[in-house]
Amino acid sequence: MNQATTAPLQGRHRVGAEAEPEVLALDATFSERPRGPLTVTDNFAVLDDPIEQREFTQFAEIDGRRMAQSVLMVQGMFCAACADTVEDALCHLPGVVKAEVHAATRRLTVQWDPALTRASALAQAVGRAGYRLLPLHEALSITQRIAESRKVLWRLFVAGICMMQVMMYAWPAYITEPGDIPPDIEHLLRWASWVLSLPVLLFASGSFFSGAWRDLKQGRVGMDTPVSIGILVTFVASSLATFDPNGPWGHEVWYDSLTMFVFFLMGGRYLEFKARDRTAGALDNLMNRLPEVCDRRRSDGQFEPVSVRRLEVGDVVRVQAGQAFPGDGVLIQMNATVDEALLTGESHPVIRQVGESVVAGSYNLAGPVEVRVDKLGKDTRFAQIVSLMEKASTEKPRLAVLADRIAGPFLSLVLLGAVVSGVYWWQIDHDRALAVAVAVLIVTCPCALSLATPAAMLASAGSLARRGVLVRRLQAFENLANVHTVVFDKTGTLTHDKLQLVAIHVREGASQADVLALGGALASGSLHPASKALVAASQEGWGGLTLPPVDVVSTTETVGQGLAALVNGSDRLWLGSATFCGVSGEALARGESPRVHLADEKGWLATFELEESLRGDAVEAVMALKAAGVTTWLLSGDLPQAAHRVASLVGVDHVVSGATPEQKLQQIARLQEQGFKVAMVGDGVNDGPVLARSDASFALGTAAPLAQANSDFVIQGGRLKDVVSALGQARSTMRVVHQNLAWAAAYNAVSVPLALLGYMPPWAAGLGMAISSFWVIGNALRLNRVL
Amino acid sequence: MEILYLLIPLSVVVVLGIIVIFWWALQSGQLDNIEREGERILRAD
Repeated sequence: MNQATTAPLQGRHRVGAEAEPEVLALDATFSERPRGPLTVTDNFAVLDDPIEQREFTQFAEIDGRRMAQSVLMVQGMFCAACADTVEDALCHLPGVVKAEVHAATRRLTVQWDPALTRASALAQAVGRAGYRLLPLHEALSITQRIAESRKVLWRLFVAGICMMQVMMYAWPAYITEPGDIPPDIEHLLRWASWVLSLPVLLFASGSFFSGAWRDLKQGRVGMDTPVSIGILVTFVASSLATFDPNGPWGHEVWYDSLTMFVFFLMGGRYLEFKARDRTAGALDNLMNRLPEVCDRRRSDGQFEPVSVRRLEVGDVVRVQAGQAFPGDGVLIQMNATVDEALLTGESHPVIRQVGESVVAGSYNLAGPVEVRVDKLGKDTRFAQIVSLMEKASTEKPRLAVLADRIAGPFLSLVLLGAVVSGVYWWQIDHDRALAVAVAVLIVTCPCALSLATPAAMLASAGSLARRGVLVRRLQAFENLANVHTVVFDKTGTLTHDKLQLVAIHVREGASQADVLALGGALASGSLHPASKALVAASQEGWGGLTLPPVDVVSTTETVGQGLAALVNGSDRLWLGSATFCGVSGEALARGESPRVHLADEKGWLATFELEESLRGDAVEAVMALKAAGVTTWLLSGDLPQAAHRVASLVGVDHVVSGATPEQKLQQIARLQEQGFKVAMVGDGVNDGPVLARSDASFALGTAAPLAQANSDFVIQGGRLKDVVSALGQARSTMRVVHQNLAWAAAYNAVSVPLALLGYMPPWAAGLGMAISSFWVIGNALRLNRVL
Repeated sequence: MEILYLLIPLSVVVVLGIIVIFWWALQSGQLDNIEREGERILRAD
């Protein structure tokens, strides 16, 4: 049983021996409700397989019954109201207890009773409503994410409410003269502040203490260290002042500074977390597909459908047209035409003979073939490319390393300064000693490095996300801002991956309309890119032609050559390559564009000229990049003629053609050695290592899923102009980051000496720190506006 | 101002109570999907 094939089903005839997809009867009530955009005809039986189900379902005993909770992804949602439609579709099913869709991340959480219904029934119900359910990759980490989200929210709330209340207790001290408040009441106020600072210390500051402890064990000074020391010292000193007012530790309390400090830092962490969660959710969409089912040969020779996970090395599987090969294997019995776009990014079909190997993940284009499986899962070449890319991507520079390098010595200096000033002032005035030391610790705001830079990058990431560009790594902003060179892949990036019909040449006496109708009819069952182009042209009324209906009786496809058919009763037709159609003398001079010929019993009838079409905004994008001062390159594995043709159309500065993946990598390395920073825009998995090697990488939304998952930016709409906007955004981001860092430097340069000299009371230190944080975050939020 | 001897400790108790209530709300999953409330106006019912 197939998943939905890409060829359009036409009622007039059928091609091949595949079973028709199930036609689901629509419930009358559903036809009135708003529906989703998809026509879902997949077979969801694989979702009931226990091995598959484990990936996205948890079971629990509730009220003595065994209930299931599944997390799935909803495909096809285009707005938040779609969530309602999906939930409705599920709530009316028997056995469903609860169904909730989180619109922002397109996640469905559904509680259902396995005794009353099945996962496939749930998916079918949602399918009837026009959306597709897919098991979520790593769905069970959802529980982890929710736990983390709760923790962050908890810390923020505790810090917030305690801060507000402690400030209320501290307020009287600010507005009265010393001595106005009766000592009893003053003591009570301090005691109350102490009690409410405890939750902040115990619950909200946990991450600082654990971070500082970790740094301490490694013998480093990190950004959490002065924060933790500041919090502890402040608290201890304030507690002592509260319970032993006449003791040596002085008389001042700083509960308000303490709680405000923690609250602001927690606020920053919360915002950071939410933004990260949203981006992660959007990217989940890219990596999810229905688990594959394929036919495995049993010992009695029959084939049974089985989940891909259950395959073992040595199994023989039958792969239908339009399916992907489930593992690396060797072809037996028949040749196959395969689409290795997954690896190369180019859809030109490749012929594999019997005895040759096929690669996992590539698609079988012609009829069903049998393959003996050699490698599965992690051993396949596909998986090896994945691990290669993952390793390459961890070699990139990190802003955190730089920040630590600066922060470490700076913070050590600050700590030293605090101690020195404390000792110095101790000899002069005990009370002030502690105040000064605490002021020094609090006033040096770690905000600049810990809040400002991520805040700016997150604001930019959010702004880009709204325009359809997903940012996977925040450090990419820094890399992109410094980029001098942008390298484009050709096929699929500058051009659409599909072929388009450009011209029809016909024999004398034949009309273009007839010929196109015939071509389209013959090509309709085939998955070859040339066939798809013909079908698209005939369906869209190419050239304004009205096509006569054609009655095709039968079609056979010969792998790599063409299609032969019986038409209109008894006319024989051939559609395909020149040799297949017996076209020789009429064959026009070989140009760069692929040609498909149509021949009938009398000989050559027509030639269809196809070409790769340039993306609409490719020229604009390249011009804009040049205007921004960036050099553009085209790197392609294709023939020089094709590459140069596209290069001249688009206007890139340099072209490299005929490059293997290794050569592409070398070219990038060469550019980098010359001191240029390189950004790469691509779409194929074989571009993967190249994308990882470049300083910044873009993958288009139509790219191979793996390329998308490992590049810095994913342009969902496939608009090349977004590369230009991302570049602009990155440059503004770095400008803002530098402004923030400059402010932080100036602020510290002024306030730390002031604190050391004793001119800064702790409340001023706290206030200064707060203002500094706000300024920095406000500056970063300017990036939210569409620039 | 003797009333303050009552009010200040009372306020501490109230805030602690608020924290406990928030803990309960958080653990019962009410705050897991805050955006959902904003989407409520888009729903038919």
